[in-house]
Amino acid sequence: MPLIKTPPPHGGKLVDRVVKKREIAEKMIAGCPTFELKPTTLPDGTPIRHVYREIMSVCYGFFSPVEGSMVQNELERVLNERRLLSEWIFPYPILFDVSEEDYKALNVKEGDRLLLMLKGQPFATIDIEEIYKIDPVDVATRTFGTPEKNPEVVREPFNDKHPGYVIYKMHNPVIIAGKYTIVNEPKFKEPFDRFWFPPAKCREVIKNEKKWRTVIAHQTRNVPHVGHEMLMKCAAYTGDIEPCNGILVNAIIGAKRRGDYPDEAILEGHEAVNKYGYIKPERHMVTFTFWDMRYGNPIESLLHGVIRQNMGCTHHMFGRDHAAVGEYYDIYATQILWSEGIPSFGFEAPPNEVDYGLKIIPQNMAEFWYCPVCQEIAYSESCGHTDAKQKFSGSFLRGMVAEGVFPPRVVMRPEVYKQIVKWWKVYNYPFVNRRYLEMKNKELEIDLPAMEVPKA
Amino acid sequence: MPHYISVILDDERYEKIKGTPLEEKITYLFGGQLKSLIVEVPEEKSEKILKAFDKARIDSRGYIEDVPVAFRRAVFEEIAKAKSLDVIDKVLERLDDLVEAGKKEDEYIPPPEIE
Ligand SMILES: [Zn+2]
Repeated sequence: MPLIKTPPPHGGKLVDRVVKKREIAEKMIAGCPTFELKPTTLPDGTPIRHVYREIMSVCYGFFSPVEGSMVQNELERVLNERRLLSEWIFPYPILFDVSEEDYKALNVKEGDRLLLMLKGQPFATIDIEEIYKIDPVDVATRTFGTPEKNPEVVREPFNDKHPGYVIYKMHNPVIIAGKYTIVNEPKFKEPFDRFWFPPAKCREVIKNEKKWRTVIAHQTRNVPHVGHEMLMKCAAYTGDIEPCNGILVNAIIGAKRRGDYPDEAILEGHEAVNKYGYIKPERHMVTFTFWDMRYGNPIESLLHGVIRQNMGCTHHMFGRDHAAVGEYYDIYATQILWSEGIPSFGFEAPPNEVDYGLKIIPQNMAEFWYCPVCQEIAYSESCGHTDAKQKFSGSFLRGMVAEGVFPPRVVMRPEVYKQIVKWWKVYNYPFVNRRYLEMKNKELEIDLPAMEVPKA
Repeated sequence: MPHYISVILDDERYEKIKGTPLEEKITYLFGGQLKSLIVEVPEEKSEKILKAFDKARIDSRGYIEDVPVAFRRAVFEEIAKAKSLDVIDKVLERLDDLVEAGKKEDEYIPPPEIE
């Protein structure tokens, strides 16, 4: 087997749609009609998505080769076959949606350029290629699948308890399709600034600073406990002639469910793993991607593959119940996709074995638990003392954290726990609650420099 | 099938039950690093708990999780008072108060006093 090399970006080339020169940006936006971006909310007003995060991920190349909001034919192709019109595989509809009222008030048409404002400042443009209508419930249903159409992995019909389904269901019915361009580069707040490695930058750091030839990606939306740490360490033993040189943690940052940990604690919790030597920084680095998580298990795993291949990873670890919530999908759905494919979702073979597919190599992993007989943290496929297993349960840990009990170091590293407490003191709460969601939604993770819109 | 509530013993709580018959019932997990007492909850009583707290759920190990801190603290208080694990009825007597206390926890939980 030849040595593994960094794969090319998905689609061949990283998307870079960020205008850095102020004069060029000003010319682009002169005289444009403007639209202030709004969050997608539940009927009770709770924010569940902010399209600015998708615009960031598109323009900085995380979702390469996607360049903007999809036209209707592309939306249909993604829903039917999980492919773009350019043939490259892609899992999710990426849409710029507005309400009927906003559309009427905007009075824009195909060929126009619309300036998208954020926090009162110019942020990005969309060059309108097409305007069409969707039935959001239909898009939501087809995005995630149904037990009838996708019997391989869908176990229950999706409903309002599924956060990803609800995000699509709450999309507005008018879709404005076209390429996004960021015209006013945002400034990141702490601590997000430290972890911002868009794909081009991330590839450069991997190659020139870290000097990693092989890198395995770890998906996270959690503060890591020792079970996660063992997953990272052990999955990284894959590679070629040696274990993977690097472990790239990529946190998904966006609207969260109540009861999850705040984004800041997630990032700094993972950082503590390397800062305090549990996996030394020479081998471990923490990054994030903006995305209001859709919890789409196998579908989400495809997006994870796209993002991390674009960031320069050679491998991706996938656990049981990957990016899942509830029991809508088979708990092995992601692993089924990456080991044999899911024909009803357009994959007769795994996503890295089809034409125009991914090049990142999956590493499917089972579970870790503490075994009192082995007296170590054991791998479920190795340890034969199943009856004696002591599982790392996220909800058990949440209970311990809320009660103010210091977790033992074999369960959660003390330095990681202290990051939870640090942000607990800031927000007066250890987990995401409504107040946190509303505050995050108003303040966002970024600020925008002041910028005038010149007259045409 | 009965469900369970795990009551974690940190040093402070351990002092309160030291020397009582409860000491023999301590479960040691994770190589002895985690001490806990396990309260068995018959199914009809765990249903009451799930109904009272909307976030509460049974995890894959059969443990009742995501209940308010006030509820967990009450379980330990009753254990310490009775020096017994047979306390779930006592806790359920306080359920209305605990539901009220739990509602406030959506807004504020005091952080622990560590640096
Ligand atoms: Zn064992």
